[in-house]
Amino acid sequence: MAIPVIDTRAGERAPSTASASRKRGGFSVHFAHYKWLYLLLLPGVVYFAVFRYAPMYGVSIAFKDYVPFLGINGSPWVGLQHFQDFFSNPDFPRLLGNTLILAFLNLGIAFPLTIVLALLLNEVRLSILKRTVQTLVYIPHFLSWTIVASLSFLLFALDFGPLFLFLNSVMGTNTDFLSDPNWFRTLIVLQEIWKNTGWGTIIFLAALATVDQDQYEAAIIDGAGRFRRVWHITLPGIRSTIIVMLILAIGQMLNTGFEQIYLMTNALNRSVADVFDTYVYFVGITQGAYSYSTAVGLFKAVVGIVLIFGTNALAKRFNQSGLF
Amino acid sequence: MLRRKFSLAAAVVTATALSLTACSGGEAPAADLTTVSIMAPFLEAQPPTADGAVQKKLEELTGKDINISWTPNASYEDKTNITLASSEIPHIMVIQGKTPGFVKNAEAGAFWDLTDKLDDYPNLKTTFPEIQENASINGKVYGVYRGRAPMRAAVMFRQDWLDKLGLEAPKTTEDLYKLAKAFTEQDPDGNGQNDTWGITIPKWGALGTNSPYDFIETWYGAGNRWTEKDGKLIPSFETEEFLEANRFVKKMVDEKLINPDFATFDGTKWNEPFFNGKGGIIVDVDSRVSVLVNLFKQADPNNFENKVGFVGNLKGPDGELHAHPTDGYSGFLAIPKASVRTEAELEKVLEVLNTMNGKDAAILVNNGIEGVNFTVEDGKAATIKPETEEGKAVTTDIKSYAQLGMNVKGNEFYPVKQPTDYEQQVFDKRTEVMAEDLKSAVYNPAAPYVSATYVAKGAQLDNIVADARIKYLAGQIDEQGLKDAIKLWNTSGGDKVKEEINQLWQDNK
Repeated sequence: MAIPVIDTRAGERAPSTASASRKRGGFSVHFAHYKWLYLLLLPGVVYFAVFRYAPMYGVSIAFKDYVPFLGINGSPWVGLQHFQDFFSNPDFPRLLGNTLILAFLNLGIAFPLTIVLALLLNEVRLSILKRTVQTLVYIPHFLSWTIVASLSFLLFALDFGPLFLFLNSVMGTNTDFLSDPNWFRTLIVLQEIWKNTGWGTIIFLAALATVDQDQYEAAIIDGAGRFRRVWHITLPGIRSTIIVMLILAIGQMLNTGFEQIYLMTNALNRSVADVFDTYVYFVGITQGAYSYSTAVGLFKAVVGIVLIFGTNALAKRFNQSGLF
Repeated sequence: MLRRKFSLAAAVVTATALSLTACSGGEAPAADLTTVSIMAPFLEAQPPTADGAVQKKLEELTGKDINISWTPNASYEDKTNITLASSEIPHIMVIQGKTPGFVKNAEAGAFWDLTDKLDDYPNLKTTFPEIQENASINGKVYGVYRGRAPMRAAVMFRQDWLDKLGLEAPKTTEDLYKLAKAFTEQDPDGNGQNDTWGITIPKWGALGTNSPYDFIETWYGAGNRWTEKDGKLIPSFETEEFLEANRFVKKMVDEKLINPDFATFDGTKWNEPFFNGKGGIIVDVDSRVSVLVNLFKQADPNNFENKVGFVGNLKGPDGELHAHPTDGYSGFLAIPKASVRTEAELEKVLEVLNTMNGKDAAILVNNGIEGVNFTVEDGKAATIKPETEEGKAVTTDIKSYAQLGMNVKGNEFYPVKQPTDYEQQVFDKRTEVMAEDLKSAVYNPAAPYVSATYVAKGAQLDNIVADARIKYLAGQIDEQGLKDAIKLWNTSGGDKVKEEINQLWQDNK
């Protein structure tokens, strides 16, 4: 997915450099020359303008006291009131903490695991085995979170869930994993790993297929073992893919997954479970505080943008090609 | 050739643009109002179809095309808020309560103020003005309330277990504790194993939602949401009785007299432990008694009597009966100004509501169609047996249509004749017990009042205390932690809520 993105970019740049050399002719000549390309571009521009940019004017309700009856234009402006309320709210540090902790756990554990799994699959030489395992690990991705949550409830059910009984007998405890706040994040990350790790390997496997086989042969002749080959050939070979995926993952980081968390929350673990996504739903949709929750959502989006640009800049500083 | 292709492309783009603008230009409803659209919740697995017999009869009665959008109850509140923000607003909306979203819209003028209008319509003029007052926003009536039995709290228990252990039905909260203890420790099912518990409580945290916790707190004398202390209104959870009640529940949790997964147990499975002989007691509204009796009847029609016993509200430790009533209404039918624009249209809609609140419509939505699914026997509606396909369809449909029933002049439809004598006895006893308890009802003195701060952040505030209550019961925090949470409620804006509620209360005294 990431690689075609870069390709398109490269393609777009070509006409702009060409236009520089034709500067004398001005835009009209340039336009006449490339009119069919611009026509091709039109549907994309219209799509983004109508479905992505036009709805953004609704974001203005974050700065208003929006009441549906009065409409977006009719509702009074309140400036940064909602942001002030949010930042001074005792919920704020808790939400930010919960969101960031979950985000970093997912990024720090689930993301590398995807690469590890891809490497493992790549080392499997028996084609039939490799394909079977691949298919099996993709399947959980297609189950909805509702099913994943139901399965967890069944497996960890108090007093009779098989995993509840097993884990507690191993640890010699009597923990209710479903309501104990200390276990909430573990459960969430485990579910995420179970559901999405397999699916995430697809791109890495594609990247692994492009690594030059000659290098491996040379390394074998030089006496490199399996781990040395992975470390010195495979990983550098897919480094740019890893970085692009990491930037994308960081951009999505604060989307901690509304459904999953909403389904796993209860009164006993809410203190660690509340994240921006569930809060926006709870306050905005069920309580009708549209403006306030829009402000919260907007804040989340701004943090997401900062993270993307930050990571991109960081990647460039370390002499890697960034995303843009 | 190229030119023709280009003009084709241009035509496509233009057409798309046109259709987009066509979508956004919503048509205003016709002024003569031949069709009345209603948004209502349904609690059954399937909503009724629009061409059912009940729908046709309702259209016949009102003389209008009725267009009901049935919305699943579980997501009704979300859907209400989304509908209000959309351009497709129905003429009549069932609003389930004075939620912040509704209050804000109402105060901005999104709904017709019906305070001075309802009395002009014979079927909308309520005979219970205090319930209408409860359903109002600080005295302003924004809808026709849906009347519900004001007394519903009950304790139900396995009668066969009670008989086997030679115990008596509980009268006080102390009795409830003893009963739960006996059900837990004395092997009431006689299988020689310690595999039963006393009370089953499902995942149900929110404050003031008629949960088992709310009932027990009221029984202890904590009041009902708000209570008067030294000439001021305070939330129930600031009373000493609230703490006592929760100490009592915690003692039962600690002694394993309550199901240990009470914080996560799925409420839709509430009947299962009772029916399967695991947990012998349920504290809930009295209509569950009949549901439980029916469960046993379906399992074994020859031997279902004396499985379910029940009593009403329990006396508290002070020896007094503080019965827990509901607010007497379950939401209301409100009329949005966005769809009903003029006074003339409003009159038309109110006429429809007037008809829907008449005796004929009340019988239709609650009993069904006489001669099709029921007949009248000594003033009661008896189901026609064997059921015809047609009758069955009507019986299924009215379960949903009953959501439109308002009954602001009391129930004008027929009471349902129970299929067996035993069930009739249970039903009559329920009516009797609840009528008796109603005399000792502790009402919520703040029910009609809506404070601005509460609208802005009341639900988050209440969550602080509601979650702390469950955490305290589960042993995650101690009593000091619970008190700290109540303090946090105050400092996060609760003290302002108190101030505003007291102001409104003083002004309306």
